[in-house]
Amino acid sequence: MAEIDFERRLERLFADAPEFPDAQAFAEGIERRLDRGWTARRWFIGAAGLTGGVVGASQLVVSNLMQQVQSAEQSARVLSQGLSRVTPSTDMVSALSGGYGVWIAVGLAVLAMGFVLSRVIEEI
Amino acid sequence: MPGANHSSFASQHDVELCGHAAAGERRAFGELVRRHGSGVRHLLRRMGAQAAEADDVAQDAFLAAFERIAEFRGEGTFAGWVKRIAARQYLRRLQREKRLSAYAQESGEEEAHDGDTDGRIDLDEGLKALSPAERLCVSMCYGAGLSHGEAAEALNLPLGTVKSHVKRGLEKLRTRLAPTDGVALEGRRGNG
Repeated sequence: MAEIDFERRLERLFADAPEFPDAQAFAEGIERRLDRGWTARRWFIGAAGLTGGVVGASQLVVSNLMQQVQSAEQSARVLSQGLSRVTPSTDMVSALSGGYGVWIAVGLAVLAMGFVLSRVIEEI
Repeated sequence: MPGANHSSFASQHDVELCGHAAAGERRAFGELVRRHGSGVRHLLRRMGAQAAEADDVAQDAFLAAFERIAEFRGEGTFAGWVKRIAARQYLRRLQREKRLSAYAQESGEEEAHDGDTDGRIDLDEGLKALSPAERLCVSMCYGAGLSHGEAAEALNLPLGTVKSHVKRGLEKLRTRLAPTDGVALEGRRGNG
């Protein structure tokens, strides 16, 4: 019983820790380190998003999507020729057949990158 | 606004602050550090760390606690939880710097201090009379709240060795912390 009493007393003594005079500064130091870590993390996420966007956009432009678009253009041309026999040609089909599709895709990718960038700036 | 946050956090319970911290509120965690920072730093010093090293480890422990705050379920106290993290981090540091094995192999035969023959002395003085291994084991079990088994695992020592370190450490502390008049101590214990 005396043993348990002594152990409890020891636990109380360990728990009874007087506050250091620099306790406030210590806490502020940790807050600062947390803030730094948070900012670095947001930069990292933003940079990763931006890099991903750039890579995605460049892939979109460089990849064989170009060829696919060209073949789609040919299909569209055939379609427009077919349609022209039935109805007057539309602006939309002619826009696609003129290679604007690629530029629309690039524009959308740039918009997406802009969105990512604005989010990062907002977070910071 | 930040001032308002600080004052509102100051009135909140640890568990509530942990909830805020888990949601990414760093000021709430700062309040927890303000409350328990000294306790953690004292524990590390009592385990044998120098002041600067204790502060370093305490900082790392709090940062680790923030990262893992979602794991804290409020079953024990926040102070106990973060002290266990700090104790383990300190041991890892000792291990990394190859100091742990030297600590653990200390036989504890040397009596580091003569103690205070006038009677009661404080815990910090009492701990100085213990060998590094005894000091580590006693602090981990009674300061950080680890079981003997957990301490043995953390120290990479057999359970029996840890138990004997603790036993010897307690015996030394008992003679130093207790008043020389045993009857008086018994009377005080009897009164709670």
